[in-house]
Amino acid sequence: MTARLYSGIAAAGLIALLAAGAADATPVVSKDATLPVGSELNEQVLDQPTELFAFEIAGGKRSYLFNLGDMLFSSPAIFGGKARDAGLSCNSCHQQGANNSALYIPGLSRRPGTFDTTGALFNPKADNGVFDPVTVPSLRGAKFLAPYGHDGRFASLRDFVRNVIVNEFAGPDPSGQTLDALVTYIQEISFLPNDKLTSDGHLTEKASDAARRGEALFNKPFPHNAAMSCATCHQADAAFVDRKVHDIGTGGFFKTKTLVNARFNAPYFHDGRFDTFDEVVGYFDKHYDLGLTAHERADLVAYLDAVGDAEQPFTRNTVQAEIDELTAFASVLEVAIPAHDKAVVLQAVESVGGEWREVGENFPDRRDTSVEGGLRERLKARASVRDVVLTLRQIAMAAESDDFAGAGRLYAEYRNLVVAVAPHLKAAEPWSLFNPDVHERHFAALARLAALAK
Amino acid sequence: MQGFFQFPTFARCALLAAVFVFAATSASADKLTDGAKAYKPFIVERIGKAIAGAKEMQAAVKAGDLKAAQTAWIASRKGWEAMEPVTGTYFGDLDKLIDAWPDAKTGYHAIEVVLFSAKKTEGLDQPVAELLANMDKFEKRVTDKTFSFAPQKLLEGTANLAYEVGEEKSGGGESPFAATSIIDMQENVEGIEVAWKLVFADTLKKKDAKLAGIIDERISNLERLVKVPDIKSMEARKVHIAGEELAALMLQAAPTLGLKSFKVGDE
Repeated sequence: MTARLYSGIAAAGLIALLAAGAADATPVVSKDATLPVGSELNEQVLDQPTELFAFEIAGGKRSYLFNLGDMLFSSPAIFGGKARDAGLSCNSCHQQGANNSALYIPGLSRRPGTFDTTGALFNPKADNGVFDPVTVPSLRGAKFLAPYGHDGRFASLRDFVRNVIVNEFAGPDPSGQTLDALVTYIQEISFLPNDKLTSDGHLTEKASDAARRGEALFNKPFPHNAAMSCATCHQADAAFVDRKVHDIGTGGFFKTKTLVNARFNAPYFHDGRFDTFDEVVGYFDKHYDLGLTAHERADLVAYLDAVGDAEQPFTRNTVQAEIDELTAFASVLEVAIPAHDKAVVLQAVESVGGEWREVGENFPDRRDTSVEGGLRERLKARASVRDVVLTLRQIAMAAESDDFAGAGRLYAEYRNLVVAVAPHLKAAEPWSLFNPDVHERHFAALARLAALAK
Repeated sequence: MQGFFQFPTFARCALLAAVFVFAATSASADKLTDGAKAYKPFIVERIGKAIAGAKEMQAAVKAGDLKAAQTAWIASRKGWEAMEPVTGTYFGDLDKLIDAWPDAKTGYHAIEVVLFSAKKTEGLDQPVAELLANMDKFEKRVTDKTFSFAPQKLLEGTANLAYEVGEEKSGGGESPFAATSIIDMQENVEGIEVAWKLVFADTLKKKDAKLAGIIDERISNLERLVKVPDIKSMEARKVHIAGEELAALMLQAAPTLGLKSFKVGDE
């Protein structure tokens, strides 16, 4: 019954995946799946993009709206049709608010990390008949990066989010509260700290000499247009954007992308045509006839690497991190139940319950050939997750019959249960997919199965 | 009896009530035990079907007939899936071998990947023979006269299966190469229905007709939701909710049935 994990493995592309060392890649293999064979959501990654929020930096706290937005961001419940059935959420593409460079859906992606938002699969009504996949952008610093959409068609983040839900993923028209919550969440997603960069976008002494030379080149006027330099559009003191769209010879007007933390935002350009900064610099060199030497190109790449860096770009996922996140998600019930806000109660149960099930799938059952030992602990962890999910479901059932007092009691029970089962989950952690060794063995086993299929 | 009347009235009442409750509980326990006895032939029949299918598969593999081997694999699998309320809880050691994955050397899925993905019959003699041997062990164990199912474990297995039916199937489910997940699910739901009706339904109807009615209705609902040609045409979200609701209701029914509500940590 470990369907999501089992959905992994694919004969197609296996050799490429092994060569890339992507042992945790889990493309869809079954013709019976909601998503096409070969789809890759990269959901099982253990080292996840680090998430940092502006209120944390300022020493503040998670608000109700933020928690609601965070929960909804991970919820398939706000989408419709196939996206909902496939369990997709905003977080599927924008992992932990960053991008997802491995995302690949045949028919909608030209290459990993790109996606055609007007394809037929998720919303036939929005299908424009043009195969024009674009990259999934990181949302770090999104509040500074208006307008929204690669072509900058939305001035408002709220309008953009509504468009994603309703037109890209066929969801029902979201409530005002849903949009406010999602916008609150997205606007809190901060750039990651980078000690090579000052707050106004200059390199610090931690940057290399090559990067420093690159900084000078970045600000140097173009040989054939002295009014322009790289910094004209990528303004260092404005998150390296000018909030405008430009035609740089890539097929239309597209907005200037931020360079902050951009080392982790590949592939580059609106359609993800480039994988490296070297290719990007090479393109501009040619397009604007800059006449860069090989050294100068390397210096510019060093500069982009320095500006685009982050101190801790990835964070290892753990049982405790999952418990903390889901506790925050479920906390919206503290407000929604007394307010008799049935819609939010049902969304929270669906979203948090689904997330718990995913946590449960990290504890292999007795049939999994890739893990030995800890069976008692693993089964107890799985049973713990089951009890937690079923208690959540009882909350929804109570709310649906307008028994909000009962829902409140069940929520208290849920909270106690999470505290009670946490030790069971942690006890099983060494034999779970949270352990990098088990994780590696499990996905290597899936790869061997795919190889056998060949 | 003289001693009994020496107790104060309230104590006598309490004692009588306790005796009554014990008698009632014991009567319902008997009824549940009878139900569990009636359930055993279902499992015997299903393991028989699984074995028959596996034998057909063995013959087809020997003959190098891929199509027949695939058909037999599906037939055998159908027998197996309806037994899921008990496979894990009673036959965990064999379940581990028969249903092993991802890169098992033996069992259904080791065979599945060769038959349905590599589309070959070569090299399957040994895995099919092992599958049959493990199923024979299963059959011997379950048909042993001393073997019986206990209502408590059956309720837990049935509710657990209802919970698992609601699990994410959008990736193609348990048998991705054979793409028979919808059949697996239909058989799972039949397994739930049979276990519930044979063992628990009548007892609960006498004690809480309303809850019994709701559970019956939820089982029918789940049955309807999985009665579709394939996973793609299934309303995954509704199945997910229906499975969870059914499992939660079975949990709720446990004390009324005189059983424990099997919260984790109680075991």
